[in-house]
Amino acid sequence: MNINVRILTKSVSQQYAFKRIVTFSTKPTQQAAVAAVPQQQEVTGPSVRKPIVPAHYRFVYPEFLPDPKIEWRNAIREKLERLDMLDRRRQIELPEFYVGSILAVTSSDPHAAGKTSRFVGICIHRERCGLRARFILRNVIDHQGIEVVYELYDPTIQKVEVLRLEKRLDDSLFYLRDALPEFSTFDENMEAEPLEEGAPVPINDIKVVLRPRPWLERWERQNLLGVANIEQYIKDKHRKSAEKVQKPWEKFDLMKQYRATIPEEEQKEIFAEVHTELHTLELQRKRNKRKRTFVKPKHLA
Amino acid sequence: MNQADVSKLMSQLRIAVRPTKRNLKNPDGPEGRLLKLRKTVTALVKHERIELYYNRADEARGYAELLISNAIRHGDRHKATMELADYWLLEKQLVHKLFKVLVPRFENSTVSYTRMFKAPRDYPGMYYRKSVLELRGNPYPALIPDNSQNRNLLHNVLLDEARKEFRREKLASLANKLAAETENATASTIETPAQAPVTDPQSEQSKQAEEAPKA
Repeated sequence: MNINVRILTKSVSQQYAFKRIVTFSTKPTQQAAVAAVPQQQEVTGPSVRKPIVPAHYRFVYPEFLPDPKIEWRNAIREKLERLDMLDRRRQIELPEFYVGSILAVTSSDPHAAGKTSRFVGICIHRERCGLRARFILRNVIDHQGIEVVYELYDPTIQKVEVLRLEKRLDDSLFYLRDALPEFSTFDENMEAEPLEEGAPVPINDIKVVLRPRPWLERWERQNLLGVANIEQYIKDKHRKSAEKVQKPWEKFDLMKQYRATIPEEEQKEIFAEVHTELHTLELQRKRNKRKRTFVKPKHLA
Repeated sequence: MNQADVSKLMSQLRIAVRPTKRNLKNPDGPEGRLLKLRKTVTALVKHERIELYYNRADEARGYAELLISNAIRHGDRHKATMELADYWLLEKQLVHKLFKVLVPRFENSTVSYTRMFKAPRDYPGMYYRKSVLELRGNPYPALIPDNSQNRNLLHNVLLDEARKEFRREKLASLANKLAAETENATASTIETPAQAPVTDPQSEQSKQAEEAPKA
């Protein structure tokens, strides 16, 4: 028996050593497929690790997102602009603020007495992106409504202070131009009201009172939340025409929204690129603030 | 240079998006345009493959993609997404299909959820280009033959050869191993003389060689 086995195994080994095995399957063998899958998972596991960007960054730094208009997109220009913005942020503290926050901006002014001018006001609008990002401050000074447009990355800006960090109910507050002056009057010597660390930005649900028509815009058509007395001044014909221009289908127009936004994947990429830098700047700012509070106690005479 | 709208988050589309919309002329304005597109999206979800004019198909494609991606992103417990599905699917039983059939189908997909093909147009007939719009993973036979399994393609020839060689090597090593094992087994049987009337010359020689130094 043993002989037979030996001979057989020898012959078998010879056969397989020299003869070709012909198979025509092009599918991967089951073993190979099983072996391939866990290997891939092992490889992707550690490489997936990326800096975790907080979800609120797109609200705090909206100007880092490019204009979503497809014809105007240019990856290289956007990247260079982001680098320039970071460069500027290393030079000057540009704090987090929203429409409705009260800011004080100190800027170089060749005609002012000390070559600088400081303007305090409420931010009524933020627009544009990249290095062109700008905002409008409004205040009433000597019974005269004053608005100043500041570019956020303008090199003549010397200091931006947030005196009161809060949001309002609407995305832009142009209706303050038609409101009673007390709603856009802010003290020039106002002191900063610091928020607690980590506290959410409060939403001021104040409703402003408009003065009678004529107005600068047809506010009744804009579905404003922060206005108290629109109904008081409009007639039936205004109500009807306002109803006519409403576009209730727009909230379902997905492609319109898509063309107005930067998709999440792209946002993640952009903020992953600038996150570490912005984060270190934030930490630095916090440290500086703490120092300043210890060093300079306020004396009010 | 307008600021991007940050109030909404949307997933990136895996299809090419035109910079502007098509108006799809109709007397009811933008609302009528959306109604047209709703009909198309509903038909697409219902039949999974439809043939229609190119412009309308291309417009509807983005909406169908975004509807599915929103359904995947938020699930059926999200009120806004449910409203969206209710608006875009005119036949309400299709809302169930969207969340129970299409979402599981496309959950782990890395490519677009729909495909669009150019279709031949009738001659003589309307001049407009035609196209076929379909959901991926539909039950119909494929429109384009799948040639990736053709064994005469170069990469398949190479793969086949590599596979053959691999199997050959494996079998050879297996056979060698088996041979070695049986050799060991016979050697051990010879050592117990009661059991072994062995006449294998090689093993006997080796046995003698082993015994010689002892003597």
